[in-house]
Amino acid sequence: MGLDHQTLVAFAKSWGLFYLIALAIGVLIYAFWPSNRKRFDRAKKSILDKDDRPGD
Amino acid sequence: MPNFHRKLERSAIGFVLAIIGVSAIGGFVEIAPLFTIQETVEKAPDMRVYTPLETAGRNIYIREGCYACHSQMIRTLRDEVERYGPYSLAVESQYDKPMLWGSKRTGPDLARVGGKYSDQWHVAHLINPRAVVPQSVMPKYGWLMRTELNTADLGQHLAAQRKLGVPYTETQIANASADAYGQASPDSPYAGGVGERYGEATNVRAFDGEPGRLTEMDALVAYLQVLGKLTDAAHKQTAATGK
Amino acid sequence: MISALTLAERQLAIAVSLLLALCGLAMAIAGRDDLLGVHGAIVLLFGIGGIFLVLSKYFEPEPSDERLTRYYDDPTKVGIVLSLAWAVVGMFFGVWVAALLAWPDLTFDAGWASFGRIRPVHTSGVIFGFGGNALIATSFHVLQRTSRARLPDQFSPWFVLIGYNLFCVIAASGYLMGLTQSKEYAEPEWYADLWLVVVWVTYFLIYIRTLQRRKEPHIYVANWYYMAFILVVAVLHIVNNLALPISLGSAKSYTVYSGVQDAMVQWWYGHNAVAFFLTAGFLGMMYYYLPKRAGRPIFSYRLSIISFWGITFMYMWAGSHHLHYTALPQWVQTLGMTFSVVLLVPSWASAGNALATLNGAWHKVRDDATLRFMMVAAVFYGLSTFEGSFMAIRAVNSLSHYTDWTVGHVHAGALGWVAMITFGSIYALVPWMWKVKQIYSPKLVEVHFWLALSGTIIYVFAMWNSGIIQGLMWRTYNDSGTLAYSFIDSLVAMHPYYIARTVGGLLFLIGAIVASYNVWMTIRMARSQAPEHAAEADIPAGTALQPGE
Repeated sequence: MGLDHQTLVAFAKSWGLFYLIALAIGVLIYAFWPSNRKRFDRAKKSILDKDDRPGD
Repeated sequence: MPNFHRKLERSAIGFVLAIIGVSAIGGFVEIAPLFTIQETVEKAPDMRVYTPLETAGRNIYIREGCYACHSQMIRTLRDEVERYGPYSLAVESQYDKPMLWGSKRTGPDLARVGGKYSDQWHVAHLINPRAVVPQSVMPKYGWLMRTELNTADLGQHLAAQRKLGVPYTETQIANASADAYGQASPDSPYAGGVGERYGEATNVRAFDGEPGRLTEMDALVAYLQVLGKLTDAAHKQTAATGK
Repeated sequence: MISALTLAERQLAIAVSLLLALCGLAMAIAGRDDLLGVHGAIVLLFGIGGIFLVLSKYFEPEPSDERLTRYYDDPTKVGIVLSLAWAVVGMFFGVWVAALLAWPDLTFDAGWASFGRIRPVHTSGVIFGFGGNALIATSFHVLQRTSRARLPDQFSPWFVLIGYNLFCVIAASGYLMGLTQSKEYAEPEWYADLWLVVVWVTYFLIYIRTLQRRKEPHIYVANWYYMAFILVVAVLHIVNNLALPISLGSAKSYTVYSGVQDAMVQWWYGHNAVAFFLTAGFLGMMYYYLPKRAGRPIFSYRLSIISFWGITFMYMWAGSHHLHYTALPQWVQTLGMTFSVVLLVPSWASAGNALATLNGAWHKVRDDATLRFMMVAAVFYGLSTFEGSFMAIRAVNSLSHYTDWTVGHVHAGALGWVAMITFGSIYALVPWMWKVKQIYSPKLVEVHFWLALSGTIIYVFAMWNSGIIQGLMWRTYNDSGTLAYSFIDSLVAMHPYYIARTVGGLLFLIGAIVASYNVWMTIRMARSQAPEHAAEADIPAGTALQPGE
C-alpha cells in the first residue's frame, strides 16, 4: 500500500465533507428545479392509474 | 444539472452507477484508512499465535454461537475495566479471523477470562452451567465431553490463516495435529513440541481432566484459558497510563 | 408454472437444474468427510427436483404470444407464499430462543437446539426468509406496474426466487449443524455466499432489463429504493464475505480480515444491511403500496427524492457507531456518530411523507386494517430511526451497548416497521394477485393487526426495561466505591422481562399464523371462484381480469 495512514485519514476527513455538501446541494437543486415539477406530479399520480396490462 | 439528472434517469444504467457511486464513496472513504490501520495498531512483539488446539477450540466457540451472548471487547469505561480487567487493545485481536468482539452480553465479557477459573470449573460449568452458577441461563454443552476432537485437518486450518497473514511457521503447520494432541496430553511424547513451537508459557494440560482422550471439551477449555493471555500489552498499557 | 415457460426456457431450466445438480454432486463428493457433503446433497436434491418439475410438464403446449400483453405475476404469487412460510418458521424459532433465556433447559441437551445455533435460524429466517422473499415478490410486482412493462422473460424470475430460497435453506440448515462464519447477519459459509452472488446478479439483471423496456419516462421512486437495496446489498455481501476456505472439500473458511479491520468491515456490513435490506427495500414497498391502498398520491414526491439520496449517502458512514469505546480509532467512531444523528433528517422525512399521505384519509385508516398496518409501520419507522440516532450518541451508547436495549431497538424496527409494512403490503397485494374482490376475511386481518401491535409493544417495552436496568446495574457503584452488582445479579433481574418478551413474540407469531391462514383461504377461494379457468390456473394470461381492477 503506497499511501500511508495519515494521508488517507486526512483525505477522508476533508474531501468527505466537500463531497457531502456538493451532493446535498445537487440533490436539492434537482428536487426544487421548477421545470421538474410537472414530471414529479405525473410520476406520483401515475401509480394510481389503471395497471392491468403492460403499456397501459 | 436537472438535465443531467433527467438523462441519468432515462438510462437505467446511469442510474445504477449513480447509486453505486453515492453509496460506495461514503463507505470507501470511511473504510480506506482501515486498510492501513496496521500502522496505528499497538506493537506487541511478544504476542503469540493460537496453538492448533486453541484454534480448534475457537472454531467450536464460533460453531456453537457463543459470541451471540458473550463479548470479547472490554470498553474504555471505568466500570468495565473494574469488572473485567484492562480494556481491550486492537493488537490483542490482530490474529483473530474473524474477530469475536460480539455485540451482546447476555453472559459476561470473556476477553480476559483466561486463567480466571480452573479447568475443572470450566468443564463442570460447560457440562451443566446451573450446577456451578444456579441462576445461569447458559445452555448445557455436555456433548463436547463425549465428542472426539477432529485434528486431521488442523494443518489446513493453520495453512489457510498463514496465507491470510497470520505468522504460522512451516513446522507449526506440519506438526499441527500432533501439537493439538500433545497440548492436552502432558505425559505424551508430543507434549514437548508444543512449548518449543509456541513458547514455554503455553498451557499444556489435560484440560478436560482425561489425559488419554482428546475431546472437543479439551479444545474449548484450552481456548477459554488463553483468552487475554496471548500478550500482556494491555496490562502494560494500563500500568503506563496509571503512572 | 412450467406451462408458462417457452420451450427454449424449459430447456434452459433443465440445463440450469442439471448444472446445479452436478455442483451438488461435486460438493457431496468433495465434502464426503465434512458437513459440506450434507449441503452438497441438499443442492443435488434441489437440482434433481428442478429437472423433474420441468420434465413433468415439458410436453405441454407453449404459451401464446398473447402472454406478452399481460404482466407476469406467478413468481410474485409464489414469493408471497414462501415469505409467509418463512415468517412462521423464523418467528417460531424466535419465540423458542426467547424462551431459552427464561427456561434454559428447553434445548433437550441437543447440540442443534442450543441458543447459539438456533438464534441465527431465527435472524436469518425472518430477515432473509420472510423479509427477502417479500422484497423479491413485491419488487417484481412494483417494477412491472411502475414501468408498465412485463418482466423480460419467464425463467430468470424463477431462478432468482428458487435460488434465493435454496440459499436460505442452506443457511438455516447449516446453522443447526454448526456451520457459521460467526459474522452476524452474514453467517452462511463461502459456498452459500458464492451462490447468492449468482442469484443476486440475475436479480439485478431482471431489474435493469425491465427498466430499460419501460413505457414511463420517469422511474418511480419506489424503484430507486429497490435498486439501492439490490445494488448495495451486493457490494456489502461481497466485501464482507471475502474468505479463504481451508480446502475445497471443507465448509470452513477464514475471513481475509482480522481483528479491528474485521470489526469495522463487519459492522459497516451489519449496519448497512439494516439500511439497505431492512430500510431501503421496505421503503420501496411503502412508497408504492401505501399510496395505492390509500388511493392518494404520495404527499411530496420531492421530499421522497431528497430523503432517498440522504439515506443512500449517509447510512454508509454510520456503521462504526456499533463500536463506540472499543479499540476502533476515535475519529472513526465520531464520524459514525455524527452521520447517525444526521440520518434522522431523511428518515423522518420518509416517515412524515408517509403519514402526510394519509392525511385526509384517516377514515380509511380507521376502517381498513391493511392500511392501518402501513400507518403503524410508518410510525414505528419514525420511532426506531429516532431511537437509532439517539443510541448512536456515544454517551447513550455506553449505557445501551451490549444490553437488551439494542435488542428492543432492533425489534421495534423489525416487528414494528419491517413486518408491519410487509403484512400491510401482502394484504393489499393478495387480492390483486389472485383476482378476488377482497381478502378471505377482513376480520382476521383486524385480529392480526391487534395481535401484531400488542405483541410488538409488549416486546419492545420489556426489552427497553430490561436493557436500561441491565446497563444501569453494570455501572452502579456503592458507597465504598466498588461495583454494586455482580453480573449474575443483573441476569436474575432480567428474568421477568425475558418471560414478557417471549409472550410478546408469541402474540406476533400467532398473528403471522393467522395471516398465513387468511392468505391460504383467499387462494382457495380464488380457485373455487374461477373453476372454468382451473386448467390454466398457472398461466397468467388465463386468469380473468376485471376491467378497471
